[in-house]
Amino acid sequence: MVVDDHPMWRDSVARDLEEARYEVVATTGEGRQALRIAAAVRPDVVILDLRLPDLSGVEVARGLAACLPAPRVLVLSASAEQEDVLEAVKAGASGYLVKSASREEFLDAVRRTAEGEPVFTPGLAGLVLGEYRRLAVQTSPDDDGPRLTDRETEVLRLVAKGLSYKQIAERLVLSHRTVQNHVQNTLNKLQLHNRVDLVRYAIERGLDEG
Amino acid sequence: MGRSIEMPFWRAITVYRVASLAYAALVLAGAGGYQRPVIGWLVIGVMALWTAATAFAYSVARSRTLLVIDMLVTLGCLLASPYVQGADAGPAGVMPVPATWIGGPVLAWAVYGGRRAGVLAAVLLSVADLWLRGARGFDLSVPLNGAVLLILAGAVVGHVARLTEQAEERLQRAVELEAAGRERQRLARGIHDSVLQVLALVQRRGLEIGGEAAELGRLAGEQEAALREMVRGEPVVPGYEGAGLVDVGALLRRHGSTAVTVSTPATPVLLPAGRAREVAAAVGAALDNVRRHCGEDTRAWVLAEEGPGSVTVTIRDDGPGIPAGRLAEAEAEGRLGVAQSIRGRVAGLGGTACFISVPGQGTEVELTVPTAG
Repeated sequence: MVVDDHPMWRDSVARDLEEARYEVVATTGEGRQALRIAAAVRPDVVILDLRLPDLSGVEVARGLAACLPAPRVLVLSASAEQEDVLEAVKAGASGYLVKSASREEFLDAVRRTAEGEPVFTPGLAGLVLGEYRRLAVQTSPDDDGPRLTDRETEVLRLVAKGLSYKQIAERLVLSHRTVQNHVQNTLNKLQLHNRVDLVRYAIERGLDEG
Repeated sequence: MGRSIEMPFWRAITVYRVASLAYAALVLAGAGGYQRPVIGWLVIGVMALWTAATAFAYSVARSRTLLVIDMLVTLGCLLASPYVQGADAGPAGVMPVPATWIGGPVLAWAVYGGRRAGVLAAVLLSVADLWLRGARGFDLSVPLNGAVLLILAGAVVGHVARLTEQAEERLQRAVELEAAGRERQRLARGIHDSVLQVLALVQRRGLEIGGEAAELGRLAGEQEAALREMVRGEPVVPGYEGAGLVDVGALLRRHGSTAVTVSTPATPVLLPAGRAREVAAAVGAALDNVRRHCGEDTRAWVLAEEGPGSVTVTIRDDGPGIPAGRLAEAEAEGRLGVAQSIRGRVAGLGGTACFISVPGQGTEVELTVPTAG
């Protein structure tokens, strides 16, 4: 399913996907409609632009994460603010690609998203590293906030510096699979923390109102 | 003049009229031996009515007609004085019945019409006043104090009223400009976004088609990166302008292009403006070096991280790498090139620069700079 408010882009992306033998179940340019359609057609993967006319991309990502089963979300955006990208990823998107990426990069990202593997561009790795740093500074040492292990930090920094998983595996003398797991963990911890935070917030609000 | 600014003036004039009316009543009560005190109280009554009328009229509808009537009523009250005072009236200096109340229309004319109108009203009333006091042949021996003060009040109040009016107009224009600017920015964001989308699309399709189209695609890609950075805006972070702190991340993102990927945290990486510029310049030097030695098509990655008390920026390229010892060799031979411009800048900030080259994985330059010097 393709969600993008720019018709030319929507068609272009859908065509690329169909040529690569993916089934495009729906295309739309509006956030609310996207959530309604996604609930009905249950796509495996949603290609999401963060700039939509009605809802923000972050809100759509949050809404999609609440679907059962939740589709995997790949953010594909042109001028998205860094904060929006980070929020979308925390809300459950598992990858981010700029629109200037080539068709091969895009199709590779879709394939990995479909397989449940996060798509970590160097830019996203930089954002995630920054977010862990922010959380570490903000919370007290005995708090249960998410932390990166030294190894995870090391892997994430190498991703941010543009190394491929293969190169990282060579440099750190790890298996390709282990590198993937480390990257996956950094994202899972952040998304879990985000969900826990939301639940905590909801409970506090609920108790106050009750 | 804008209503909001003008209203305090009219309220002040009303206060003045009420106060001087009370004073005129006191003077009349205290004076003995007037020929017709009843007419005197009648005049005070007219003054009181007119004070109430103007308080209302000037707050609702101000016009030339109202100003002229105001002047005529005041002149009437003034000229009635000799009938009230009889023998007491004259050059002896006894105050006419309305006393200081005649200042009311002078202030009103000044606020409505500016300096000239204020002076004109003051002159009219002064002439009437002097004439009353027996200066029928314009005898200059009669004290002119009152007249001079009245004219001065007309001029000064008129001037101040004009200044206030201009200030109000300027403020209004500034507010309008600001609103227009905000609206333009909002529109620009939308337009930029769709331009970005089209440029990215041209780049993508162009590269797929190949040939001349690929060249067009590449150009579109460069413009897209430039525009994207422009849309992201200034490195000055709202709320930190005063502290002289800027976001190094935003400065570094300007280096981004199709060949250079810049990764930063989502939150601003703050450094004092001078240090931030030095860091950005060092990164620029490192990227120039990559282009010079490894070719235009070499890809490069810039990563900015914030540590406790320091900022670390790493520049990596996927070029052939520097053979071990080459850099130290070059430094020893005095051919400093890279090392000098980068190390020098960073050392000047109290930081360190560290070069790593892994065979097959390009070269990394890691710059660590303390946030405060």
